[in-house]
Amino acid sequence: MSTSTYTAHDSHAINSMGLWLFIVSETALFSAFIFARYYLTGTDQPSELNIGLGYAITAVLLSSSLLAYGAERRIAKGDRRGFLWLTLGTIVLGALFLVGVGLEWREAAHAFAPPDLFGVVFFSLTGLHATHMVTGLIALCFVWLVGWRGGFGATDHWGVTGVVRYWHFVDAVWLTVFPTLYLV
Amino acid sequence: MQLAPTAFLRDWAFGPLAFGMLVGLVMFFAAAGLIMGVRAWAGTEPVAFGPVVLGAYWFGLAGWLLGIGVWSKWAKEWLGLPVDRTMKTGWQRYFDFTTDHKVIGVQYLVTFLSMFLLAGVLAMLMRIEHMSGDQVLFSPAQYNYVMSLHGITMVFVAVAAVIGGFGNYAVPILIGAKDMAYPRLNALSFWLAAAVPVLLAATFFAGGFDAGWTAYAPLSTENSDGQVLFNLAFITLGLSSIAGSINFIVTVIKLRAHGMGFDRLPIFVWAVFAMSLLGFFFTQYIAAAMLMTLLDRVFGMAFFDFTEGGDPLLYQHIFWFYSHPAVYIMGVPGLALALEVISHFSRKPLFAYRWVVGGILGITALSAIVWAHHMFTAGLSTAELFFFITTTEVISIPTGLIFLGALGTIWRGRLWLRTPMLFALAVVFNFLIGGLTGIFLADVFTDIHLQDTFFVVAHFHYTIVGAGIFGLFAGIYYWFPKITGRTYSEHLAQLHFWWTFLSFNLTFLPMFWLGLNGMNRRIAVYPEELEFLNLLVSLGGFSLGASFLVFLYNILKSWIRGPVAEADPWRARTLEWQTSSPPPVENFTEAPRVVSGPYDYGSPSTAHAVFGASTNPDGAG
Amino acid sequence: MAEICHKTSSILTTSSGTTTVIDLTGSEPQAHERKTLLNGRNVVTVFVIWLGLTVLGVFGAYHADIYPIAGNHLASQVDDAFRLLMMLAVPVFTFVVTILVYSMVRFRRKTDADDTPPHTFHSHGGVIWGWLVVTSGLTIAVLIHPGFTGLRELTADRHQDMVVEALAAQWSWNFTFPEHGVKLDKANDLMLPQGTRIRFDVTSRDVVHSLWLPMYRMKIDAVPGRTNHIYLTTGEPISFSEDPNVRVQCAELCGTGHPRMQVRVSIVDQQEFDIWLGGLEPVIVGNE
Repeated sequence: MSTSTYTAHDSHAINSMGLWLFIVSETALFSAFIFARYYLTGTDQPSELNIGLGYAITAVLLSSSLLAYGAERRIAKGDRRGFLWLTLGTIVLGALFLVGVGLEWREAAHAFAPPDLFGVVFFSLTGLHATHMVTGLIALCFVWLVGWRGGFGATDHWGVTGVVRYWHFVDAVWLTVFPTLYLV
Repeated sequence: MQLAPTAFLRDWAFGPLAFGMLVGLVMFFAAAGLIMGVRAWAGTEPVAFGPVVLGAYWFGLAGWLLGIGVWSKWAKEWLGLPVDRTMKTGWQRYFDFTTDHKVIGVQYLVTFLSMFLLAGVLAMLMRIEHMSGDQVLFSPAQYNYVMSLHGITMVFVAVAAVIGGFGNYAVPILIGAKDMAYPRLNALSFWLAAAVPVLLAATFFAGGFDAGWTAYAPLSTENSDGQVLFNLAFITLGLSSIAGSINFIVTVIKLRAHGMGFDRLPIFVWAVFAMSLLGFFFTQYIAAAMLMTLLDRVFGMAFFDFTEGGDPLLYQHIFWFYSHPAVYIMGVPGLALALEVISHFSRKPLFAYRWVVGGILGITALSAIVWAHHMFTAGLSTAELFFFITTTEVISIPTGLIFLGALGTIWRGRLWLRTPMLFALAVVFNFLIGGLTGIFLADVFTDIHLQDTFFVVAHFHYTIVGAGIFGLFAGIYYWFPKITGRTYSEHLAQLHFWWTFLSFNLTFLPMFWLGLNGMNRRIAVYPEELEFLNLLVSLGGFSLGASFLVFLYNILKSWIRGPVAEADPWRARTLEWQTSSPPPVENFTEAPRVVSGPYDYGSPSTAHAVFGASTNPDGAG
Repeated sequence: MAEICHKTSSILTTSSGTTTVIDLTGSEPQAHERKTLLNGRNVVTVFVIWLGLTVLGVFGAYHADIYPIAGNHLASQVDDAFRLLMMLAVPVFTFVVTILVYSMVRFRRKTDADDTPPHTFHSHGGVIWGWLVVTSGLTIAVLIHPGFTGLRELTADRHQDMVVEALAAQWSWNFTFPEHGVKLDKANDLMLPQGTRIRFDVTSRDVVHSLWLPMYRMKIDAVPGRTNHIYLTTGEPISFSEDPNVRVQCAELCGTGHPRMQVRVSIVDQQEFDIWLGGLEPVIVGNE
């Protein structure tokens, strides 16, 4: 039976566990909306759905996750320059993704605006995901700013690890949301 | 980057509160102005309650949190700025962004007890209305508002009072930790929750809300504006619960003192841990249900709008998918607190400890798959009815283990019938009635008639008030000496107990009969034939309300000038009693090492824990 | 008894937590070290009290006349189920309460010094397994009957002599008799023929309502966008004026008019029903 001591706590392990729990918790929120999608509309899709654009922004988001992974590796090796550039790249790709979502919304608002039922699940799922993207972008900006001011180091970069993990999570959510809306 | 005038925040007792309100209001109105501006620019009517409040609320909430201390004591750190590490002392701690879990526990207790008493006043008003079968006091709209406000306030109290109050106060001490895993997140959780009563009060100025605490769509998508605030309050408390639950889970897993294995965890800690496992996951579903309602209301979506193909039953599924686990979140901590007290006051080990833990975990697991028993009359298929009747009935088996634990512990003990013990034994009695009547509701055949009647009202008051809130009061009397360092008046406390216990049963027992005989719930008007028993219930209710005056008097007087309490007035073994009353900041002067179970009474040679860096593995002390 | 307890205490305090052995026979006081949980005299006393209370309680539960008027055979069956559940709940209730009250009296701490019980035990395999077997057995029994049998009773017979469409709206009930082509808007009074199996097709025009007929123990939600069905067979003639439970009541909170969203019902003979039906407004096809 594992027990911890009274005095020395591994703050990294504690923070990490909390973040994992938060991520699991967030999956519940998305699962409710994904459930609503199947419950209300089955697997219906309107023909106006721009699948090409969907694939494109998915590729952008996946690339941003790769850059985020690289950024974390860089700072772990003490390479601040590389870390800052890669973080910036993540931010740019993330923003690009949001622009793509915006383009989709413009098309969707003409083709199947709520209260059209597919529009309801489309806008709420992508909107919920985009909200998480915006949160992630703000956090990435913080991380970049702190790094730029000389914060974080090879041994001390929980902030980076945490935000990057959250970013991967938001990415993974998209990999569920995208097929749910576009592919099934 | 000096957002807050530091001296003002540091030196004036109400500085943080005032500054939080100020920043919150400024951000709220700034955001509201911005939204209205954008609406005007886009050519829509600028002033619209739903979109403006829904948008501006989050800015107001963020401003409130930043102003009260999140910025100066936490967020500045993210930018590499120096944070304010000063801590107020004395009573001023309670009005600040204080990270001490004991302060936060008391903040929760006082806040939610106040809400409990206010919502109790609403119940009195409802009972005045029910003294006659006709309308006497309220218009139908007023009655629905009062009833809904009573319901949701009490639900919030039941969710947050025991876990938020005693979970925060006791869990870290009981496991021998200095504080919670995330003390600042903990403070954030409380100040988030503090926005909830403000929102509920604000509904009064927004036309109230009349959809009950369950807020079924589509009623809740088309009633008055107050419903928006209700939904925001539910989401806000949900956020607070999720943060709190994650905090408890990590605290219990990571911060247990040396030697505090899971097999030595006090049962109350187990309950808070298990309910946090429910809370951190399932609370997202209430957020989803509330969010979908708001999207329907404000953004013209159609999740629950049948005219567009939406389905009102979707709301009920998602709502109960959270809310059924939530009724265990409301009840089980109180039950476990009762078991805790029963062991200490029987001077005997908690009987079948592992089985009781198994029972709690069994309830935790099963509570996820029983939700639709709230929907037996909603038009479910026979297969669905079959499934949910089975899971619901089966949940009585793990619940039974909790009774086994209680009975086995008092059996042949040395029962010390002080007030905490009386409340704890009353929990067993009340929950027995609540549980047994639950079987009538779990069975589709009988439930179809009883669904949405006073039988249900009586049933959930017996479980949630009878177990959850009676457990809360067991905890209040049990830990009062520890929290305040003073002793309450035992005579007044026992008067309070018997008065409350008898009035409670006088109030709620007849309701079973009322429901069976045709009184549906959430009504101001009912058949004349039921007037006499309703009058009796009302009198019981008034008596129940009055009994809390004794409580208030006793607690307030004793807190100010009660006799000073010893460190361990109950001669209990658990860790909170092995430190001073009240405990110091960070709880223990020396690190505890746990050497035996928390309830090993009858073995005077061993203590639960030893203090200091002893190397003796037996730890006799 | 007390002496025995004190003798054993010295032995047991050093070995607390050791498994104890059941002694149900209560034969020899010499077996005192092992008699901790199921001590003969206490167990016998509790058993006698429990038995007495249970006999009284079951008798009371069987005869208690607490039910509203039962308008048909199914309602009586529901009441029988309710009665059975009460009779099964009584022994559980008396068991817990007897131990609770007996312990409060018998095992009360008498003096401040009297702080340590003569026996401590952590667990008891026999008692735990016995408890599990009994509670599981009761649960399964209740699940099968009246659980599953009741479910079958509700869903088995899917035929009807007559269809009534009930459309709920804030805050009134609108009934249509499709086979007769007549309707009853904003009904205050509803007549139904006696001894007839009726299918109600229930839906709503706005929010969720619930159609409740207390005298038939029958209820179904009126969910907008869905049509729910219930089947019931009307019983003997009776009317609202004789008993307030002969009514249709909205049972789901639906706004300000909720408590008054009720319809007085009369169960009448076929002839009277036909006359009443003849006086109703015809449904105009294509209207609405």
